[in-house]
Amino acid sequence: MQVEKFYYDNRIVKNFAFATILWGAVGMLVGLWAALQLVFPQMNITQYGSFGRLRPLHTNAVIFAFVGNGIFMGVYYSLQRLCKARMFSDKLSNIHFWGWQLIIVAAAITLPLGLTQGAEYAELIWPIDVAITVIWVVFGWNMFGTIIKRREKHLYVAIWFYIATFVTVAVLHIVRSGQLPYSFLESYSWYSGVQDALVQWWYGHNAVAFFLTTPYLGLMYYFMPKAANRPVYSYRLSIIHFWSLIFLYIWAGPHHLLYTSLPNWAQSLGVVFSVMLIFPSWGGMINGLLTLRGAWDRVRDDVILKFMVVAVTAYGMATFEGPMLSLKSVSAVSHYTDWIVAHVHVGALGWNGMLTFGVLYWLIPRIFKTGLYSKKLAANHFWLATLGILFYAIPMYWAGIQQSLMWKEFTEAGLLKYTFLETVTYMKPFYSMRAIGGTLYLTGVLIMFYNIYRTVKQGKLVGNEEAEAAPLQREYEKHTGEHWHRVIERKPILFMILSLVVILIGGIIEMVPTFMIKSNVPTISSVKPYTPLELQGRDIYVREGCYVCHSQMIRPFRSETERYGEYSKAGEFVYDKPFQWGSKRIGPDLAREGTGNLKKSDGWHFRHFREPSSMSEGSIMPAYPFLLTQNLDTSNTAAKINAMRSLGVPYEKGYGKQANRDLMAQANGIRINLKIEGIEVPANREVIALIAYIQRLGKDISKNSSPTFNK
Amino acid sequence: MFKFIKQYAENIAGINIYPMISLFIFFVFFIVLLIFVKKMNRERVQELSNLPFEKEELNNSNQ
Repeated sequence: MQVEKFYYDNRIVKNFAFATILWGAVGMLVGLWAALQLVFPQMNITQYGSFGRLRPLHTNAVIFAFVGNGIFMGVYYSLQRLCKARMFSDKLSNIHFWGWQLIIVAAAITLPLGLTQGAEYAELIWPIDVAITVIWVVFGWNMFGTIIKRREKHLYVAIWFYIATFVTVAVLHIVRSGQLPYSFLESYSWYSGVQDALVQWWYGHNAVAFFLTTPYLGLMYYFMPKAANRPVYSYRLSIIHFWSLIFLYIWAGPHHLLYTSLPNWAQSLGVVFSVMLIFPSWGGMINGLLTLRGAWDRVRDDVILKFMVVAVTAYGMATFEGPMLSLKSVSAVSHYTDWIVAHVHVGALGWNGMLTFGVLYWLIPRIFKTGLYSKKLAANHFWLATLGILFYAIPMYWAGIQQSLMWKEFTEAGLLKYTFLETVTYMKPFYSMRAIGGTLYLTGVLIMFYNIYRTVKQGKLVGNEEAEAAPLQREYEKHTGEHWHRVIERKPILFMILSLVVILIGGIIEMVPTFMIKSNVPTISSVKPYTPLELQGRDIYVREGCYVCHSQMIRPFRSETERYGEYSKAGEFVYDKPFQWGSKRIGPDLAREGTGNLKKSDGWHFRHFREPSSMSEGSIMPAYPFLLTQNLDTSNTAAKINAMRSLGVPYEKGYGKQANRDLMAQANGIRINLKIEGIEVPANREVIALIAYIQRLGKDISKNSSPTFNK
Repeated sequence: MFKFIKQYAENIAGINIYPMISLFIFFVFFIVLLIFVKKMNRERVQELSNLPFEKEELNNSNQ
C-alpha cells in the first residue's frame, strides 16, 4: 500500500516544554517564599504578598502552570506519534498554547490582588473559569481531531489516559465552577456549607486524580518504554489499571472530610473506595517499574531512567500513603497537620516533578537533533532533586506527627497541655528545614534550565519532523472472535463516552443524595443569615485567604471540643458560600471564635490584625495594617444581598436597598466599642467588617444553651 | 420535572445502603474486566504493547 508522507509538529511541543520549565521555576520560587514566610513573618510584604494570597498562587502555578504545560508537552509529542499523524490543526494548537499562558498570567495577577473564590485549587475567578472552559474545549477538539485522522487503528493505552483526563477535568471544572456572578470579577458559589464542601473535595481530590495523575500515567506509559527501549511490562495490566483507576478515583473525595459535618454514609463511601484505590495504583506502579526488566543495569548510567524510577517509586509511596491517610483513625491524627503537606509534596515533587524532568531530558535533545549538553549536570540535578524531596518530606512528616500529638496531649489534671501558640513556635525549626529542601530542589531546576538552554543553543529545532505511514483503511475487516476492548480502542468517541459513564457513576451516587435528601443536612432554627456587615467581613476573610491557615470545622474529639468548643454541625453552614472549613491548621480553628472562652474584645482583634505578635508573642500570622486604612466598599452590598437571595438565602425581599443602613449602624457599634478601648478609627474601615464577621463565628448555636435541631 | 425527582429522592429510605451498592457495582465491573482481559489473545497483546515503537526500533530492542 502507498505510504503517506507527513510532518510531526515539534514547534508546539517545544513551546509547551519551555513554558513547563519557566512556570515550574516560578511556581516553586513562590512556594519557597511562602515556606520562608512561616519562619520569618516579616517576609509578608504588602497585602499583595501576604501568605494567604501567595499560597494559592503557589498551588495554582505548580498544578496548572507547571504540570499543566508538562501534560500538554507530553500529549502533543506522544499523541502525534501514536496516531501517526500531525496535530489536527496548527491554529488550534497555537490558540491552546497562548490561551493557556494567558490564563496563567491572569491567575498570577488576580490571586495577589485578592480576587479569589476561596475554594482550594479552584480559586480563580469566574471570567478565568470561562476562559479555562474555552481553552480546554480547544485542547479536546484538537486532540480528538488528531485521533480521528490517525493512521494507526488502535489507541495505545497512553491515549486512553489522555481521553479520560480530558473528559473528567471538563466535568470537574464545570461542576466546581457553579457560581452566580454579582460583579464583573466576583461571584458566590451555587452551593453552600456541607454541599459546597462535598463538591469541593470531590473536585479537589479528582484534580489530583485527573490532572496530576492520569495524564502523567499516560506519559509514563509512553515515555518510559521509549526511554528504556522496551515495551510496557504488561498490556493486560494496563487495561485493568486504567478502568479500575478511573472508576475508583472519582468516589474517594470525601476522605478529605472525615469526622466533619459531612453525613456519615458519604464518609464511609470515601474510605472504602480510597482503600481500594491502592490496588490499581500499585498495579500501575508495578507495570511502570517492571518495564525496566532486564534493563536495570542501564538505570545506573542513564539519568533519564533514574528520574523516571524515582518518579514511579514516589507515585507508589504517595498512593500507598493516600489510602492509609483515608482510614478514619489515621485521618483523626493527620488531618489539619503538616503530614498532609509532606504527602502532597512526595506526589508533586517526586511523581510529577521527576517524571517531567525525565521527559524533558529525553525529549529536548530529540526535537533539537542534538545530544544533551551535559549529562553530568543532569546527574547533579537528579541528586539535588532527590535530596531536596527527602529534606522537604522528612521534617514535614516529623512536624505533622509532633503537631498532632501536641494538640491532643492532656495534663494529668485533664487540661490541654499546650496552647496552640506553643505548638506553632515548636514547628519553626521544621519549617526552616523544609525551606532547605525546597531550595535544593529549586537549585536543581535552575541547573536544568541552564543545561537545556545550552542543549537548545547547540542544536537546531526540527519544527516539522518528517514521517511516513500507510493511511488507515476505511473498511476495517473485523477479526472473528475479536476482543471487545480492541473494538473500543478503535472508536475514540465511544471510548470517551464509556469513560464519562464510568466516572459519572461515582460522582452521581456520591453527590445526589446529599443535595436531594433533607435529612442529610439537618437545619438549625437559630442559624440566621449574616448581617450585611458580617457578609462584607466574610468576603474580606475569603479575599485574604484566611482559610489557608485557619479551619472552621471542629471535629468531635475531646482534644478539639476542649480547645475550640462544641463540635461543628452540618446545619451551621447553610448560608456559607463558599464554605470555609479549611484543610490545614497553621493557625487555630476559628469556628467558635466569637463565643465562649475564645471570645476576645473588638479592640483585641483590632490590635491583633495590626500586629499579631503584639497580642500573641511568637505568632507567625502576617500583619494586616492595610485593613485599618482601607475603606470598605459598600457600593456592592445590595448586589451581594440580591445574589445571596437568588441562591436561596432568606433575606427579605428588597432588603438589598436598606442593607447599607444596617451595615453602618452595626459598624458604628463596633467603632464605639473600639473607642471605649482607646482606639480611634472611622466606622467605614475594612477592619470593622472583618471584626464583625469574626465576632459572629459560632454565635448561632450558642444563643440557646441546647440548640434545637429541626429535621 | 426536577421538583418531581427531588420529592421522590427525599423519600428514599435507608440511604445508608449507598456504599454497599457502590461496592457491589465496582465488584461486578472489576470481575467482568478481569475475565475479558484474561481472554485476550497473546499475539495481539504483544502487537498493542509495541505501538509506541517504530519498526526499526523494535529490531534493535532485545526482547
